[in-house]
Amino acid sequence: MLELTGVSHRYGAAMVLKEISFGVEAGEKVVLLGANGTGKSTLLKIANGLIAPSAGQVRYRGEAISPGALRNAARNRRFRGRAALLFQNPDAMLFNPTVLDEIAFGPRQLGLADAEERARHWAAALGVGRHLDRPPFGLSGGEKQKVCLAALLVLEPELLLLDEPAAALDPRSTGWLVDFLAGLRCTVITTTHNLSLAPELGRRALVLGEDHGLLHDGGVEAFLGDRERLLAANLMHIHRHRHGLVEHRHFHVHDWD
Amino acid sequence: MNNPFADPGARRDRLALLAYALAVLAATLVHDPRWLAGGLTVTLLLAGSGAGGLLSRVLRTVLPFNLAVSMGYLMLAWLRTEPPWQTLLLLNLRVLLLTAITFLFVRRVNLFRALGFSRSLTYLLGLAYSQALTFRRAHEDFRLALVSRSPRRPGLMDRYRVSAAAASWYLEKALAAARESAQALRSRGFFDA
Repeated sequence: MLELTGVSHRYGAAMVLKEISFGVEAGEKVVLLGANGTGKSTLLKIANGLIAPSAGQVRYRGEAISPGALRNAARNRRFRGRAALLFQNPDAMLFNPTVLDEIAFGPRQLGLADAEERARHWAAALGVGRHLDRPPFGLSGGEKQKVCLAALLVLEPELLLLDEPAAALDPRSTGWLVDFLAGLRCTVITTTHNLSLAPELGRRALVLGEDHGLLHDGGVEAFLGDRERLLAANLMHIHRHRHGLVEHRHFHVHDWD
Repeated sequence: MNNPFADPGARRDRLALLAYALAVLAATLVHDPRWLAGGLTVTLLLAGSGAGGLLSRVLRTVLPFNLAVSMGYLMLAWLRTEPPWQTLLLLNLRVLLLTAITFLFVRRVNLFRALGFSRSLTYLLGLAYSQALTFRRAHEDFRLALVSRSPRRPGLMDRYRVSAAAASWYLEKALAAARESAQALRSRGFFDA
């Protein structure tokens, strides 16, 4: 479904992604892991055709995807209706006067006659139905995240790219999100640096290393059990611990959020 | 402690800062369009092979502002039956010159090194710079989010709404960040006598 081949990217002199290649099949749930600054967000933006990679190619269902390729109106309409990206900062996605307008934005753009009905359905599914007449800007971080998700799911995409979706959520909402995503039938790629959440978000892990290359492409559990790779990815560290009166040092991981 | 004046690069940047301050002062005090045009020519010559790019960036930056102000002035002059050309020429040349000097200065000079003689100014520059970087990243995200959510080319109204939402977000974040920065500086004794 989605195929990245030799994707590299630079911001000026800084290397952000180095020769990333992988494919994702329809229906897969993939977790994209990596320490801060390893290029996870950039990779999702490239996969969503928002940024042209410095080198390499992205293909979605066989069609080349890049800002240039998506200048073709028909291809853009086709791709944007099928692949959706949830930004790490939900505020960046909200600009309509009410939650209803926000969620109905995509369907209205496509000229769907039942845009409002769809928006109400997804608002209810995401638990933000009571906010439909409110401006989205005044909602809490978790509610904004849900409105953004509803605004993407309303188009019933085949591919959902989620950039740190749990970052703005409290523990209860995070639990809700995990359950909600598990129930979705579409293909999902989720970035996180919260290792405890990773096995809940997918069976397959793509891990970006500090050299911005792909360090691991395989099972989540296999990666989490591999101390050498966790250290190489800067997702595990060592420091002093106290267990009652005993103090010692050992390697371990933290939940970051 | 290192002497910041001993570093030749720092000395060069500080001299450039002084030259920039004098150039800005001169550009605001001079009222002869020929001098302003001369200043603009010298600035472009100093830009060397990047002159074309600099001029294009300056024009793109000032065009909306200059166009709006010039149109307003033209209407006013027409109502008063005064010839507007001298003032319009002066105004546009001055804005072009000030913007070109500033862009060239920012491109060529390491501001942190130039302000290295003052702890306070370096702190303030650091705060301003970190906020500028945050906002630049956020601005890009607002733009890309609209593209990502739009199966069709977004309309003018959608773009206005995104701009308004972004402006409101920037203001809110800037206020919060300024409050927090002031608290951080206070906590580190910056305001102590």
